[in-house]
Amino acid sequence: MTPSRWFDALTGAGIDFVAGVPCSYLAPFFAACDALPPGALLRATREDHAVAACAGAWLGGRSPLAVMQNSGLGYCLEVLSSLHILYRLPLPMLVSDRGAASDFEEHRFLGQRTRALLDLFGIPWREGTAGQEASDARWLVAAAAEGRGPTVLLVGPEGAA
Amino acid sequence: MTRADAIRICLAYLAADDIVVAADGAVSREVYAVLDRPRTFYMLGSMGQVGSIALGLAMTRRERVVALDGDGNFLMGTGGAVMIGGVKPPNLYHLVLDNGVYGTTGGQPSLSRQVDLAQLALGAGYRWARRCGSAREAAGAVAQWLAADGPAFLALPIDEPEAAPAPRIPLAPETMAARVRAALEDA
Repeated sequence: MTPSRWFDALTGAGIDFVAGVPCSYLAPFFAACDALPPGALLRATREDHAVAACAGAWLGGRSPLAVMQNSGLGYCLEVLSSLHILYRLPLPMLVSDRGAASDFEEHRFLGQRTRALLDLFGIPWREGTAGQEASDARWLVAAAAEGRGPTVLLVGPEGAA
Repeated sequence: MTRADAIRICLAYLAADDIVVAADGAVSREVYAVLDRPRTFYMLGSMGQVGSIALGLAMTRRERVVALDGDGNFLMGTGGAVMIGGVKPPNLYHLVLDNGVYGTTGGQPSLSRQVDLAQLALGAGYRWARRCGSAREAAGAVAQWLAADGPAFLALPIDEPEAAPAPRIPLAPETMAARVRAALEDA
């Protein structure tokens, strides 16, 4: 199994249900999800369905995590607004930070507006730091629980320095 | 059969520990008006996500999860139906109240007359799916649906307008969610 420091850190911080759509930056994370018990991973068809399923898992008593590329945030906005934010449901989100100047052009427009978008929706976010996965994961889970809403950890390509 | 008639039929067949997800708009309001219970989650927005929310519950709970959906809502969230068919939670029961229109917003037509919803569910991978043809068969169809192997899908025809719209639910959204989780935590 491919090692994923984010996977180890987030499950170590209490995450016990994962729903998401892959990103190449997060390939090691999704590979590591094979270690989850049956029924704890939902391979979602689109990001809005992933976050909605996380709401269901939270109602069911779990500590869910939504995982996606930042391009998927656009699909999620209505669900985050009228489900998680409206009903005050904690939702830690692991989101790949695409769109740097060196990235492919299709990632740049939304990618370069990701932080402004999160700020506009009042969604707390932090840039994850390689080597500090455990403390970043604890922050993510605690901030989502305290804020009772979506909270985002932006991460680069896993395994890169 | 009005939407409220269909909801009354369905709720009469529920077990006490069933978990219900009620679609945003008229479905939630009518479910609340007929039978409010702590194990029912009432959606206010996030149209298209009834099945996805129900799937998250079904994957994490042993109890039966009953999704009460509308046709426009279901068609908006077909990717969620694909997830249900792929995951195949045996405890998920999905009902579509099919009136052929966006009822909450004034009755604009949906595509449900052009799309075979039960075939769509079967194609996605639900283990059982049926469209009930007439109101007089509705009670029998609901009983068959809830006795089938899950995930199971039933479309019920809604062919009469409501006498009067049900009022908005007088609960704070935060309360609606917290009491579902609390009811399940106590189980």
